[in-house]
Amino acid sequence: MTMTQTLEISNRADARPKGAIRTVLGMLWRDKFALAAAIFLLIIIACAVFGPMLFGDAALSQNLRSRNLPPFSIKNGWLYTMGADSLGRPLLPRVVVAARNTILIAAGAVLCSSVVGALLGLVAGYSSPRVSNVVMRLADVIMSFPSLLLAVIVLYMLSPSVGNLIIVLAITRIPVYLRTTRAEVLEIRQRMFVEAAQVMGASSRRIVFRHILPMVIPTLVTIATLDFAFVMLAESSLSFLGIGIQPPEITWGLMVSQGKQYLATAWWLAFWPGLAIILTTMSLNLLSNWMRIVLDPAQRWRLEIGGKSNG
Amino acid sequence: MRKLIFGRVVSSLFSLIALVVAVFFLSRLTGDPAALFLPREATQEMLDNFRRLHGLNDPLIVQFGRYLWDLVHLDFGESLRQARPAIDVVLEGFTWTFQLAVITITLVTVTAIVIGSIAAFRPGGVFDRFTSVVSLIGASAPDFWVAIVAIVVFAVKLAWLPTSGTGSFAHWILPVAVLFIRPFGLILQVVRGSMIQCFGSLYVKTARAKGVGNASIIFVHTLRNAMLPVITVIGDQAAAMLNGAVIVETIFGFPGIGKLMIDSILQRDFNVVLAAIMVTALAIFVMNTLIDLAYAILDPRVRT
Amino acid sequence: MKYGLISLGAALLSVVLPAASPALAQSAAGDVTIVLGEGVDLMEPCMSTRSNIGRILLQNINETLTELDITGDKGLMPRLAESWDQQNDKTWRFHLRKNIKFSDGSDFNAEAVKYSIDRAMSPKLACETPRYFGSSKITATVVDPSTVDVTAEPGQAILPLLMSIVTIVPANTPMEFTRNPVGTGPYKMAAWNVGQNIVLQRRDDYWGDKPDVAKATYVFRSDPAVAAAMVETGEADIAPSISATDATNSKLDHAYPNSEVFYARIDQGKPPLQDKRVREALNLAIDRNAFVGTLVPAETTLATAMVPPSTLGFNKDVKPWPFDPDKAKQLIAAAKADGVPVDSKITLVGRTNLFPNVLEVMEAIQGMLKDVGLNVDLQMYEVAEFERIYTKPYSPDRTAQLVTAQHDNARGDPVFSMFFKYHTNGPQSGFSDPKVDKMIEDATAATGDDRAKKWSDLIAYLNDEIVPDILLFNQVSFARISERVTFKPTIATNGQLQLSQIGFK
Repeated sequence: MTMTQTLEISNRADARPKGAIRTVLGMLWRDKFALAAAIFLLIIIACAVFGPMLFGDAALSQNLRSRNLPPFSIKNGWLYTMGADSLGRPLLPRVVVAARNTILIAAGAVLCSSVVGALLGLVAGYSSPRVSNVVMRLADVIMSFPSLLLAVIVLYMLSPSVGNLIIVLAITRIPVYLRTTRAEVLEIRQRMFVEAAQVMGASSRRIVFRHILPMVIPTLVTIATLDFAFVMLAESSLSFLGIGIQPPEITWGLMVSQGKQYLATAWWLAFWPGLAIILTTMSLNLLSNWMRIVLDPAQRWRLEIGGKSNG
Repeated sequence: MRKLIFGRVVSSLFSLIALVVAVFFLSRLTGDPAALFLPREATQEMLDNFRRLHGLNDPLIVQFGRYLWDLVHLDFGESLRQARPAIDVVLEGFTWTFQLAVITITLVTVTAIVIGSIAAFRPGGVFDRFTSVVSLIGASAPDFWVAIVAIVVFAVKLAWLPTSGTGSFAHWILPVAVLFIRPFGLILQVVRGSMIQCFGSLYVKTARAKGVGNASIIFVHTLRNAMLPVITVIGDQAAAMLNGAVIVETIFGFPGIGKLMIDSILQRDFNVVLAAIMVTALAIFVMNTLIDLAYAILDPRVRT
Repeated sequence: MKYGLISLGAALLSVVLPAASPALAQSAAGDVTIVLGEGVDLMEPCMSTRSNIGRILLQNINETLTELDITGDKGLMPRLAESWDQQNDKTWRFHLRKNIKFSDGSDFNAEAVKYSIDRAMSPKLACETPRYFGSSKITATVVDPSTVDVTAEPGQAILPLLMSIVTIVPANTPMEFTRNPVGTGPYKMAAWNVGQNIVLQRRDDYWGDKPDVAKATYVFRSDPAVAAAMVETGEADIAPSISATDATNSKLDHAYPNSEVFYARIDQGKPPLQDKRVREALNLAIDRNAFVGTLVPAETTLATAMVPPSTLGFNKDVKPWPFDPDKAKQLIAAAKADGVPVDSKITLVGRTNLFPNVLEVMEAIQGMLKDVGLNVDLQMYEVAEFERIYTKPYSPDRTAQLVTAQHDNARGDPVFSMFFKYHTNGPQSGFSDPKVDKMIEDATAATGDDRAKKWSDLIAYLNDEIVPDILLFNQVSFARISERVTFKPTIATNGQLQLSQIGFK
């Protein structure tokens, strides 16, 4: 290759500045798992948004003759390809329709608990020992308060509703975010760059939110994506007790619990919603791992040039 | 160090008291144990008699005062349902739960740290993808699914293990295995994430440049620094287990504290609920203190 | 690091080993293992009326003076009492069997009977026994060591039947719940490992025929699928309650009526349920037969009364309501024309975990009621909340309610149900009607055939004139019984499992 040819090539490359979106999409393409995850999540979001509109009636139509219809046959129409439940309602529409409630509740609970937990954790990690102590003891109390008791008390004092369900789920998950954030803050605040910022006169708030928090977020996101699954399943046991989702409303977790007794005979009742939970969690996690690499300048190279080894 | 522990004991005591007060008053608002213990067709006289026998007719403050006074004498009251000391009921259950929790958490910690570190070494590589997918499936699969499938496969079809119950070493295998899966998935991911961050840092690059071997890089240089968030999450999972692994206990017939707590809450057996919460709270407070001490050991720069 | 791992391993073993004991031994001949669904909190004889306790204790460890032949037509049979006669309308005299010893060696005599009765009725304990005797004060008088008079004030027409629920304990039993039951029955309690198992051992000095079973071990599994699996693998011999969906093995599994009636109480205190036409419409709207074989087991029968067919006074002429949604719509339209607010919200109340399929059954009922144009919401509650709604006092600002519940009466006489469910003062009654009250009171005081007729008339009157509820099903349970034993579960099995009825092949 001559010099001019090399120059021409590099000129050509500069002549087409890549937009940010194309860069991101390019990096997504390099990580096939994350790509599959992103596509799956888009499908789920579509289900959550459009599902009840398109399949609402189909999900509710009871038909005792199609009771416990097995899956994988087109005989009764494509709606029944995942089989039917014990009231003859086709499972495919039900799984799609249930996405909305499930995602709303899980996202609501995880978001609330992670935001509140992280904020409290920042306070606990960065403030004076006395304030920190109070916050930590509060976390201990929450950790020791059985979630079922909290749910029963909330049910008694307030009415059964989705909002209260989210509150109960969120409160019980706060401690893990709180304590993890605090642990990371304790470690990070000793580092040189924090000292430097303090010396330069940056306010505590600025240090915490601009310097420390971005370093804590990756771990929190990892925990949050797995918490999604936990919350989806915990919600079902609470709804079972009458707090939150009332039939005929459904969530994946509730479908799984209802299908439990049929595991030996009609396994598909619990299988499809369970699979939905697993795939959603996996997708969130894979996508979050990918995002972690994208947002970390020191790691980005893996996706930009597709390197696999640690270099 | 001594000052730290003393300070921690004092503040934990405050937490314990706050917890007891909260649970005492809130739980008594939610239902009448007399109506739950006696059959529906009980006469008013029987209900009144039951309430009188257990001091439920007195004003709440008086009941609370009586409870505190008994507590000072280490008397946790009597279980309404089992007619024997609440603390006996709770300690029996807690022994089982504690054993399950200790075994499972130890196994989880060791395997998740080892496998997570190796996976983090080559992110996106075959080993990493494989362990991630497998562990994520485990972490998000409903536990009773897993338990019942395990029983059907290993106990009924293959007849390698007993279906349930306690007794021999073989009886513990399935419950521990089922209990192991979710925390393993979670902690593996946290270890992996933490280690990846550390592997990208400057001192690791320096070590590599010096020619330090891979195993040494993992275990000597990186592990300690990555551990802070990891042991925090391990602590959270251990606390959840100490509160009782309800599904495992229910399905495998381990009389642990999880099922006891649920039954006692639903039947409003207040003394057992309070005693159980106090015992688990104590265990959790101790564990959190140990974790904070561990922070200081792992990373001397940290001042808690 | 290595040192740490080794010591960790040692610590692990030391935790596990103490918990290990001899591995599961194969059952010796003469031994049975029974897996029950719920553990027992108490082993107190006077609490045998509670089914989970009665299943272990009743007629195994502790016996009663009389015993009801619930499956056959022998009626009330002698057990510890050989015979009895009525002295006057308040007192019955019981002649006790002689030469019987309790398992602790003490003698069974009139003193023990008197003590047992006083103890069961005493306010110092909280036994369930008093509720069976209504508002009567019961006193026992020792006439001689094998004769005792029992007096009820006011008189109880069925006193001998009522004595079938009073378990007899020795006169030295403490006046508080005991954890070591002593009785005259063929077995004594050999061990109680709380939460794990209870072991009953056959006595050599039992007064009656020696039963086949020498040792019975009761274990507890909340999950019926696991209980079913245990019988399949041979870890247990009898699982009296497995779920219908697991009962697929025709050689091992048996369906049996469990004496529970599943019904929905109609709340007549709130519109539109105050109108009889609406209540009739509710009954006509439900296709009961569609449930049988689909949502409830195929062996389920339709309920026409609050008590199972084996009860005294059951009225065979009362037929289940037909499924006629058109007529239901007509009735509702007629009520609407008269100004009844038929569009008001009705809440269908259910209890979670009442039986395995309860949620789907509730949803199906809701669907059927909505199909005839009623505005029905479904609300499920856990036990404690549910009991507050089910039993008076009812909340004044409730919506009109249909409260579904199961009622269990295997005692042989409707008196245990009718007052509570249908009398004005009944704690679970949804209405008030003076004629019904009188019919209940008259029947309670009657005896013999007259009594049977009065209960029959009441059942018919309720069905035709009052329509106080939507009666649905006489529930069935499934038992899995291994091939090495013989046992026939019956309607009584819900509350007692007599080991003497188990044989070996």
